[in-house]
Amino acid sequence: MVVTRRDGKAGQDVLRRVGEASVLILISLADGPKHGYALILDIKELAGVELGPGTLYGALDRLERLGLIDPLPAEDRRHPYRITAPGAAALRVHLDSLERVSAAGRLRLQLGGI
Amino acid sequence: MDHPPAPRLVEAALRCYPARWRDRHGQEAAELAVLLIRDGTPAGSVAFSYLAGAAREWLTPRPERRLTALACALLVAACSLGASAGLLASAGPARAASTSQPSARAHCRSGPPGSVPGVTAADSHPQVIIWEARHGRPC
Repeated sequence: MVVTRRDGKAGQDVLRRVGEASVLILISLADGPKHGYALILDIKELAGVELGPGTLYGALDRLERLGLIDPLPAEDRRHPYRITAPGAAALRVHLDSLERVSAAGRLRLQLGGI
Repeated sequence: MDHPPAPRLVEAALRCYPARWRDRHGQEAAELAVLLIRDGTPAGSVAFSYLAGAAREWLTPRPERRLTALACALLVAACSLGASAGLLASAGPARAASTSQPSARAHCRSGPPGSVPGVTAADSHPQVIIWEARHGRPC
């Protein structure tokens, strides 16, 4: 079986090169806005990954520059973020891509009898 | 609301970020550090994460920094070229002097080259060979 990219040109999946932390942040923000501490706790719960605070802010800045998340007005000292429409679209494309690769991998394991 | 201060180690790591970043995230980052440490994350680990983040922040190219970086690169290139040209210019006359110092007498004198006044045997011998190669005839 040959895995083909249905999303066309390379580069459409903008999350391919942003790193795991950024993808996890987008997944965490998909069900509503969160600030840094809530993001760290949620990502630990959903993926078992403990994001360091330095990694978190780096990823938040990168996603904001890409227009995939938006900062909301500060609550006390905390800045909540929300996912934007392009951010949600990019996350969908990325998750679709991961699903295809995952399905192909499972099939190959099955065919290989490993 | 009163906020407990972040440990000194964390505060020191936060000071490593660019001012623009500190203005934007500094207070929240300090508060986040306090919460994480309260939850059991070692202060050293939080500080190290911020330190690594600060390094990334400085190293990540930003659109506003690109022009400055380009100007710096051009300046460095110009300085390197200038220094190289200066070295070549200063080395050129010295080399010319060392090759022209022994006069024609040195080649045409009979006897060992070491007997030429002011010219040592070690560097006079190759000069004779060069002279012969250029003029196609021995002295």
